[in-house]
Amino acid sequence: MEIVPWIIIIGVLSVLWIRGVHSVQRSATAPQQIPFLGGGTPDTHAWQRYHIRYYSMTLLFIAFEMEMMFMYPWAVVFVEEGGKAMMEMGMFLAILSIGIVYAWREGLFRWQ
Amino acid sequence: MAVSALSRWAREAPVPVFVAIGDGMRERVERLFCDPGIERAATPRHAAILLIAGRMRLEDREDLRRLHDQMPHPRATLLWDAKVGEALGDAEIFSGGTLESDKDAGEAVRDHLERLWQDLASGERPSEPDLLHDEPPNPWEGIGPHGQGGKGMMGGTPYGRPMAMTSDDLRDGLALDTYTARFGPFLPMFPPGLLLEMTLQGDVIQAAKVLRPPLSQKAEENAPAALSRLARLLDLLGLPALGQRTRLAVAGDRSSSTLEKLGRAIRWSGAMLAIPPGLGAVEGQGDLSARLNDLLAVAGGSSPATRPELPESAHLSSLLPGLEWSEAMLVLNSFDDKTLSMLAMVMDEPDEERDGHDHDGDHMRHDHGGHHDHGGSHHEHGRHQGEGGQGGHGDYGSHQGHDPHGSHGGHT
Repeated sequence: MEIVPWIIIIGVLSVLWIRGVHSVQRSATAPQQIPFLGGGTPDTHAWQRYHIRYYSMTLLFIAFEMEMMFMYPWAVVFVEEGGKAMMEMGMFLAILSIGIVYAWREGLFRWQ
Repeated sequence: MAVSALSRWAREAPVPVFVAIGDGMRERVERLFCDPGIERAATPRHAAILLIAGRMRLEDREDLRRLHDQMPHPRATLLWDAKVGEALGDAEIFSGGTLESDKDAGEAVRDHLERLWQDLASGERPSEPDLLHDEPPNPWEGIGPHGQGGKGMMGGTPYGRPMAMTSDDLRDGLALDTYTARFGPFLPMFPPGLLLEMTLQGDVIQAAKVLRPPLSQKAEENAPAALSRLARLLDLLGLPALGQRTRLAVAGDRSSSTLEKLGRAIRWSGAMLAIPPGLGAVEGQGDLSARLNDLLAVAGGSSPATRPELPESAHLSSLLPGLEWSEAMLVLNSFDDKTLSMLAMVMDEPDEERDGHDHDGDHMRHDHGGHHDHGGSHHEHGRHQGEGGQGGHGDYGSHQGHDPHGSHGGHT
């Protein structure tokens, strides 16, 4: 098998890499551990939660994309199934439109 | 063998220099970095030599020591007419006072930097030791059930600093973590010497306060000064090649045909389209795109435009909040030195800056007690999780529980 030497090489490299990262972190002094602020200091830890501003846009995109994903196969079987398929699609769209209404309420369609 | 080959290659590479610019030295330093043999490092982490150019204030010395310690080994320091006393240990000193012209001084500094770098790379010159104590700002190790520096999920001071706490966002009122830090005085995209205490949420500036004004540069406002300001703006706009071209035009050939070509290249780059209208507008000074247009007109050969005096109320502390980091950096760099020093005057505010400013959405800040008394609010968070049964989501759950407005929609 040709995969074994690759596994060994990648394994050795990753051990070296992890040891390298580890030794750099251990040798970092207190001034080196703070983020670079041009000489200034922070009040708090840099680990924090912040607003992903494209979040609601992503939500809207997924709502419409899911609609499309289901509609293509649905269009193939719609003629055979008839009214039942129509009702199923109506339920599906109703659920998805809740997401769109939520995005609307969040002000997503107000372009600034 | 391999190691000696590496050090030989390193010696021939451009010298990575981090520069702290002092009184009236910006022009000379920018000319120095036009040389391809010297590379201006964006952070001390990428530099081997700290160049301290020009006189520094007494209070900047601590920050210079911190910058020095943030450089990796091997490292060296060069003081160029810096007069910082013994603050930087036994650093190399270069004094340009004996040389006849600026140009000679620049060349001598360049030679000095290259020699330092070669000595460092070959190992002939020992690396400089730390100047500050290697201690976290607060004790933390061994505190808490796992020795992690705190009690709850969000409490404590891991690595010596408290965790960020939530407060209202300016834009849409989401309560998210605030990050308060002192930016500057030697941040490369800041005017040299400017120290701002800013509160950020993500990349949006919520509050700004001037702690130290920018160091005075040569105050005369002429075509070269306008062009170097244009170069800095182009760098910030993500057009470093055009920035470099502008800098080369400042240093050497300023003939009308070169400037005309340069102006055309900048217009064709679409830089003007990237700037939202009304950004950084100050009464009498226009907005950012108006100021950039002025600079482009200077590049096109006309004399610098004169703008009316600033209104009394204009100040960075009211100009910057609400802007994103990249916008704020453009705004900061779009003013000439005189205007900026008026905008960045240190104000003796009454002691209310911690509790609230005059913008909307600050009414929740006092609920969380600012960012200094983390201990108290952490305990509250912990109790909420325990008693309220907010579910397994930890801090997200308690976060929702704390939000007195219930929903985000109410703010917009």
